[in-house]
Amino acid sequence: MASSTTVPRRYSARSPLVGYLLRRLGTSILLLIGVTVVTFALTNLVPGNPVAAALGEGAASNPATVAAYVEKYGLDQPLPLQYLTYVGNLFQGDMGTSLHTRQPVADDLLKAVPATVEVALGAIIVSLAVGTALGSLAAYRRGKITDQVVRVVSLIGLSIPTFWLALTSFYIFFLQLRIAPGSGRLSPIYTPPPTVTGLYTVDALLAGQWDIFFDAMAHLMLPVFVLSLFTIGLLTRFVRTSVLEVLDADYVRAGRAKGLSGSRVLFGYVLRGASLPILTIVGLAFGSLLSGTVLVEAVFAWPGLGTYAYESATSLDLPGIMGVGLVVGVIYLGINFIVDMLYGVLDPRVRLA
Amino acid sequence: MRNNTRVAVLALGLVATVTLAGCSAGASSSGDAPSSLVIDTAFTLETGDPGRNYVPTGYMVSKAVYETLLDFAGSDESTPVPGLATFEQNADATVFTFTLDADRVFSDGSPITADDVVFSLERVKGMVESKANFLMSGIEVAKIDDLTVELTTETPSLKLPALMTNPSLAILNSEVVIANGGTTDDTDAAEEFLNSESAGSGPYVIDSLDFASQVVLTENSEYNGDEEIDFGRVVIRSVSESATQKLNLEGGDSNVAVDLSGDQVADLSDDVTVTSGPSAQTIFLLLNQNPEISEFTSNPDFVDAVRYALDYDGLLELAGAGSEQATGVIPPSFLGALTDGVEQDLDASATALAASGYDGETITLEYPNDYPVGGVSFTPLAERIQSQLDAAGITLELAPAPFTTQIDEYVNGREAFSIWFWGPDYADSANFLPFAAGDKVGLRAGWTAEMSPETVALSAAAANATSVDEREAAFAAFAQGLQDSGPFVPLIVPGSNIATASSITGVSYNSTWTMDIAELRAK
Repeated sequence: MASSTTVPRRYSARSPLVGYLLRRLGTSILLLIGVTVVTFALTNLVPGNPVAAALGEGAASNPATVAAYVEKYGLDQPLPLQYLTYVGNLFQGDMGTSLHTRQPVADDLLKAVPATVEVALGAIIVSLAVGTALGSLAAYRRGKITDQVVRVVSLIGLSIPTFWLALTSFYIFFLQLRIAPGSGRLSPIYTPPPTVTGLYTVDALLAGQWDIFFDAMAHLMLPVFVLSLFTIGLLTRFVRTSVLEVLDADYVRAGRAKGLSGSRVLFGYVLRGASLPILTIVGLAFGSLLSGTVLVEAVFAWPGLGTYAYESATSLDLPGIMGVGLVVGVIYLGINFIVDMLYGVLDPRVRLA
Repeated sequence: MRNNTRVAVLALGLVATVTLAGCSAGASSSGDAPSSLVIDTAFTLETGDPGRNYVPTGYMVSKAVYETLLDFAGSDESTPVPGLATFEQNADATVFTFTLDADRVFSDGSPITADDVVFSLERVKGMVESKANFLMSGIEVAKIDDLTVELTTETPSLKLPALMTNPSLAILNSEVVIANGGTTDDTDAAEEFLNSESAGSGPYVIDSLDFASQVVLTENSEYNGDEEIDFGRVVIRSVSESATQKLNLEGGDSNVAVDLSGDQVADLSDDVTVTSGPSAQTIFLLLNQNPEISEFTSNPDFVDAVRYALDYDGLLELAGAGSEQATGVIPPSFLGALTDGVEQDLDASATALAASGYDGETITLEYPNDYPVGGVSFTPLAERIQSQLDAAGITLELAPAPFTTQIDEYVNGREAFSIWFWGPDYADSANFLPFAAGDKVGLRAGWTAEMSPETVALSAAAANATSVDEREAAFAAFAQGLQDSGPFVPLIVPGSNIATASSITGVSYNSTWTMDIAELRAK
């Protein structure tokens, strides 16, 4: 009776998804502008003279050099004008020139961000795998000795100071056991592979440079281990709690009653049901890994975003600080967006809502 | 089943990758003679352009890639020796004639001429925005013939030969630099080119330069100077954490660690060699003489009370290997440095304190807490000073702040009582004359020329001396004058500790370029 008319599914301008995406995009742009305002205001509120900090004592005492420097970087302009100029340039893709490195901030960030992304990606993959396994194990063995051990291990992971762990693991695995390489992204004998993504492992693979690939992998091991330990502790606890909440759910019992294998029940029913809170924490942890690796980068001489942020902050490098603020803002907005999208993929109820 | 197989294959792949990666991590023994040289240092690198550089790592790189008219032999910074040229001066020390070696060439094989010298020096003088611009202040440059250049100054300038050793005043291949945007005024645009290419005559050329991670140098095949090059490739890496530098060196991943503290070198393994000695930095206390800033610190008796209350040996314990007590504002390795420093005298301190009218008021001691100098952190130093002065009846409140916050207050003379440091821009005692009343550092202590015409006269005598003997006596008198009545209390000359693998020799410390890479040898 019903004449079924199939309407092709398109994402037209009126589609709810497109509308949602546009709203998210608009909000994100507003948030990023807010980030620039707050960063600019805070940086200028800090007492200190960026000219003296950048030029050093000798040159800061030379009036001609100071005048030329101030003019070159527009530091003689009123602060609102400096801000508007910055934002205007930003819309043209110009993030300014770092007062510290004297290089375009965009160029600096294009080198620093991939270095941090490479190590953060490794850490989040390891954390996800180990944290999910340990958390699930603890939930399945609730109240037993395995559960107690996993909970203690996760607590240790959360409690160990990262800087200490980085130095200690470097001492043990590099100096004593000789199974890890020295600091940096590559051994000194190697030249970085031709830049495509900025991730040395990927670029080495793309260039067919297997020796550099393995060397880059080796250099990733310790930083990834150190960074992932905290996240493993965090994820283990969240996974355990989330899994416990769904273990007794009707659909899980139904799966078991159907005679499905344990792994099928775990991956197809339990973890999928518990995935929303886990996904939230993974997103936050990944954002945190990308923006908060200063100490680990310092120990492993990793020229990433954390190092750049620290050096920009300690040298009152306003364009550098603004650049880092923007990148971190984009990272968090991007991750939140992806997580929101994944909610819909994992839970149809969210999609419908 | 298929799933299990896939998982197994993936797991095997992962294990294989990690294993192979681990295999590639094998560290070489630090005792083996290396084919290339790896140097770890906390980077201060902003440019590959020597004329714009004014920071230590940049100097180290410039020294390896470029050459200057004059040089220093090893760690002896008392007398400049010929570099690209020899020189003569007139009796008034106002005219300096430099004669270039006839056969020296740049890295492209072209000869070094007087035109290159004139261009290079005029370029630094013309680049007003360069941090090194002030080095050429008051110096006129003129070509005499193809191999002769004359530098003139209006007043006697015995410091000029030492100035000409500074890598910022390196001689560049003018033809190449001009072709890539170089000029002798503030329109110069050659920096980008010099960030990736070399235009010098030094033992090395730039292979790659990354300001964040590493500089790679390779041997200059056209080099025809005096150095014998042992390393065909040099990698200078950015390693900001000194503990990591130490582990890299001990583990054989690097051959040289530049920034180890005194405590760290004391703990090194036997197969590491350490070259220690006092640096050229002086850490001192500043007591502002402006009564509007502080009624106490501006009182000369109070300054004496502080000067004699301190246990200098106790402070030196914080500095570690290679450090020495600062005997005055001129550090030990420089002309006119005093032999003996102040000794603790609690009676003299008590007498001076009573005469100052101080009655237990709390004085604020400011210092940068994120800027260790030569491995000396200012926070423990300030705490020990606080403790020592407390025992002498002076109450301090500590006010640490980041360097970038403190330096503005310091250079503008707004700090009453603070800990700071001073190092030379080039190896000459004239670098320490700014401590005089009415001069740069003096004014930071609120010490105007009218307050101490005596030290102004002593400074002028040292600046205008025209013979070495006269200079030495004048600088010693200047240093003694400040020690007796100046508003500064010199504390420590921190050590310089360069640690090398046992397979490396030839390290010598220089106060400007830290070390000359070309002088390093493989055993």
